[in-house]
Amino acid sequence: MIITKKKDRKQLLENVKGYKNFFLLGCSECATLCGTGGQEQLEELKQLLEAEGKAVTGAFVAKTGCQVLGTKVELKQFKEALAKTDCIIVMSCGAGTQSAVELFDDKAVYPSNDSMFLGNMTRLQMFDERCSLCGQCILDKTGGICPVTACPKGILNGPCGGTKDGHCEVSPDIPCAWVRIYDRMKKLNKVEEFKATTLDAKDWSASIKPRKLVAREEKK
Amino acid sequence: MSSFQEALNSGKFVVTAEVGPPKGTGIKTMLHDIELLKGKVDALNVTDNQSAVMRICSLAVCKIVLEHGAEPILQMTCRDRNRIGLQSDLLGASVLGINNVLCMTGDHVLAGDHKGAKPVYDVESVQLLKIVDGLNNGRDMSGNELKGSTGFFQGAVVTPEANPLEPQMGKFAKKVAAGARFFQTQAIYDVDKFREFMAEARKYPVKVLAGFVILKSAGMANFLNNNVPGIRVPQELIDEMKAAGKEKALETGMDIAARHIRRLKEEKICDGVHIMAIGMEDKVPIIMEKAGLL
Ligand code: SF4
Ligand code: SF4
Repeated sequence: MIITKKKDRKQLLENVKGYKNFFLLGCSECATLCGTGGQEQLEELKQLLEAEGKAVTGAFVAKTGCQVLGTKVELKQFKEALAKTDCIIVMSCGAGTQSAVELFDDKAVYPSNDSMFLGNMTRLQMFDERCSLCGQCILDKTGGICPVTACPKGILNGPCGGTKDGHCEVSPDIPCAWVRIYDRMKKLNKVEEFKATTLDAKDWSASIKPRKLVAREEKK
Repeated sequence: MSSFQEALNSGKFVVTAEVGPPKGTGIKTMLHDIELLKGKVDALNVTDNQSAVMRICSLAVCKIVLEHGAEPILQMTCRDRNRIGLQSDLLGASVLGINNVLCMTGDHVLAGDHKGAKPVYDVESVQLLKIVDGLNNGRDMSGNELKGSTGFFQGAVVTPEANPLEPQMGKFAKKVAAGARFFQTQAIYDVDKFREFMAEARKYPVKVLAGFVILKSAGMANFLNNNVPGIRVPQELIDEMKAAGKEKALETGMDIAARHIRRLKEEKICDGVHIMAIGMEDKVPIIMEKAGLL
């Protein structure tokens, strides 16, 4: 899921200080799990804005904020509230925020969160980055652990000289990706494979931005 | 063929030292160090923004080393340049007459003085070795033909005291397969343990230079043990440093280095040594003399 964290509230209020009537748009997926865009956070921000003398004309948690058409359909019921608003605060990720930008080309749209990474939830509201969406997955060659993401240098062929007692030179809080990969490959009897394969440099043209994918098959 | 490569091939016990380019254009001290070391060591490594601290580029200083009549080893990390920049600098080095290159991934930018920099790591050490091999054979990384190829003698680094060691040795093998012909190691302080490492390394057709960092005090030894990955100073050396007292500490550190170097040479454990003096370049000839190399 997309991991988000709340922007500093003071900063947020400063960003939107020129507006009076707000509509708050959350998301029931990642942002809810991150505690940044669920019902509770919408209520919280509503109170904060009202305490500043602002009006909140409506608040809604979209099913999937990054799904542009679905969100558009869901928001039909808020036609009136939206007509009265001059600023929409989107409480999901940067993708959700830009759904709103696309849907409301004449209204100011502000993000309430910082979008951070694609993450796994390891415990309640604890997230780890495990995939950088490089566009060309090599997990099949690295024991299922992603060195592009788990190694701060994205090294593809074994540990650098910075491994200290299995930890990364960058921080003792990071387990060395290549020690993890090696251990796992060893468990799977793949040490010989590790030694014998040299992975070529990645083809970064697979991740040139902005990326686009048309996955639907055209009906003839 | 580079004179460094010739020295290694001749079977002589080779010594390399290091030049650390300064931060800024004041190069007087550096030039003094180069003059001091030339003719005594077989080659001088020029570090590449060592520890991710921004300084004069390695390429420019290598050229200066050449002009002063010494043999440079261009250290090249993958931290600051993408594959285009690396290859372009390699071609540049070649036409300037720089014939040795040491391929490294490089310390992370977080270790240095520009922590907000974007780390590049478009390629890493093993892939950089392959790039050099390609350039030597007239092809760039994309397979395009070069108008004139390079003639580098390329090497890499290895950490004999890495913990864990197994994956490090796996990478060592990959570096050899990728074309590394010589290795300079992280600092070692335990000759017996290093001998075990060499028993493994000797299975490969490469030259190995053992790394040395001079101990200045027992405190420094403890610092290395606690903070520097891949360095382990045995307790008996720390005790020896302690026993020497403050006055004699540096002298003792140099004696230890000289004693170890002498042993490596006499017992033919490796092909040479790489002395990283880190600001004490004037001590390198003294250690060499103590070790019977001058
Ligand atoms: S290699 Fe890593 S970053 Fe690329 S797709 Fe696979 S998991 Fe994601
Ligand atoms: S210590 Fe391990 S995880 Fe950290 S940069 Fe080196 S190889 Fe990558």
